[in-house]
Amino acid sequence: MNFTNFDFDQLFSMSDDTNPLMMLVWILPIILFVFYGQQIQLFVTSREIKKGIAKLDSFREESRTELINYLKNNLKVKDDHLKKIDKFLDYFTIMPVDMDPNGIVDKVQHTVRSREDYTRTHVKSMSLEMSDIELTKVQTLLEIASSLQMIYKIINHMFLTAKKQNNYPLILPLQMILPFIMEQAEAMKDAIPAFKSGQPVGDGIGPMVVGKMMLEHQKENIAFQTSLSQIDFEGRKLFLLKAEGPGSTVGRPADALETITMKNKIDAIIMVDAALKMEGEDSATTAQGFGAAIGGIGTERFQIEAIATSKKIPIFSIVIKQSVKEAITLMTKEIADTAEDVRAQVFEMIHENTSQGQSVLIIGVGNTAGVPQ
Amino acid sequence: MIFSKKKITTAYTVEKCTKCGTLTKRKFHDGDVLFTKSTKCNSCDGLTRIEKIFGETIEQ
Repeated sequence: MNFTNFDFDQLFSMSDDTNPLMMLVWILPIILFVFYGQQIQLFVTSREIKKGIAKLDSFREESRTELINYLKNNLKVKDDHLKKIDKFLDYFTIMPVDMDPNGIVDKVQHTVRSREDYTRTHVKSMSLEMSDIELTKVQTLLEIASSLQMIYKIINHMFLTAKKQNNYPLILPLQMILPFIMEQAEAMKDAIPAFKSGQPVGDGIGPMVVGKMMLEHQKENIAFQTSLSQIDFEGRKLFLLKAEGPGSTVGRPADALETITMKNKIDAIIMVDAALKMEGEDSATTAQGFGAAIGGIGTERFQIEAIATSKKIPIFSIVIKQSVKEAITLMTKEIADTAEDVRAQVFEMIHENTSQGQSVLIIGVGNTAGVPQ
Repeated sequence: MIFSKKKITTAYTVEKCTKCGTLTKRKFHDGDVLFTKSTKCNSCDGLTRIEKIFGETIEQ
């Protein structure tokens, strides 16, 4: 039998004189894909995921090294710091049972604050000469390293489980979610230099706007890591609130609001915060709206909403749009340039929504790293 | 990936003279903090205050 005399007309024909080699060309892949399709897809997808996991592993290692180097070079740390850091990196938080959601917010807040307090105390014990600003920096770097470690562990676990069971449907959601995870992880890794140098990040635009308004005015500590100034503006009393900078913290604006409203009658609350932009939206654009503009796990927002509702205080918000990466890395020029415009919008909002003799609370929400008041 | 360009971000500090309002842009130095009074103004005898700290990214 001569296998070399085929012509292309025969390729698509299924007549009796079809070349047997051509038949094999069609039939073999069909058999291969019917019986081994999932395995082939698993192989191709696995290669992509493995690359992602290798990247996550390098981010995890890099963030740990950066943290250790920062401690070694900037603070006189005790000899057992490596052991302590590795212990901190593996800490987990078990969220409260939510089968009965009544009182869940208080429970979540208690768990999260307990973790923060514990970490703060133990990080401080690593060096005798650690200032409060340095402490917030180390805590933030530790949170980044710990989050990257957790992301790596979860993704690696999901991948290895799928591989172990040769389970393609199990690897599919991982493949779909990986680009989002990688975006977050890369943003976290890129955030390290800004926090180390004490530079403002994109999320700090709210504190930056309010911090400038607080300059040259008397400040008081109203809640943990939270600063307040009272100023007069065209017959109105303004309460200016932000996390205490230039350390890396978001403060406790809800606790501060509770204290302020116990002693004063507030007629309006204006919140200024960074917000995640949608795909297609331009960075550094601003938008106004209603309701409490504050991120995080939701406990602060719950508390602010509860106080505002009980006292019937309207909440207005101004948000500055940005991507995940822009929010936690060094502030971009475009975002920094909006500060003056946002400040003008705040004053316009005060004019439009309050009258003389009233009091307004303005909260600059966000991480206040590198932004004093 | 072989076509992706390397991105380099440089941090800058913008100082504003509190007297004449002149803006000066320079590279970020360690210890620069927003709103702190910094150096003497080049145009007048006023003091400058750090107005902005931001990063600019260029692709290589």
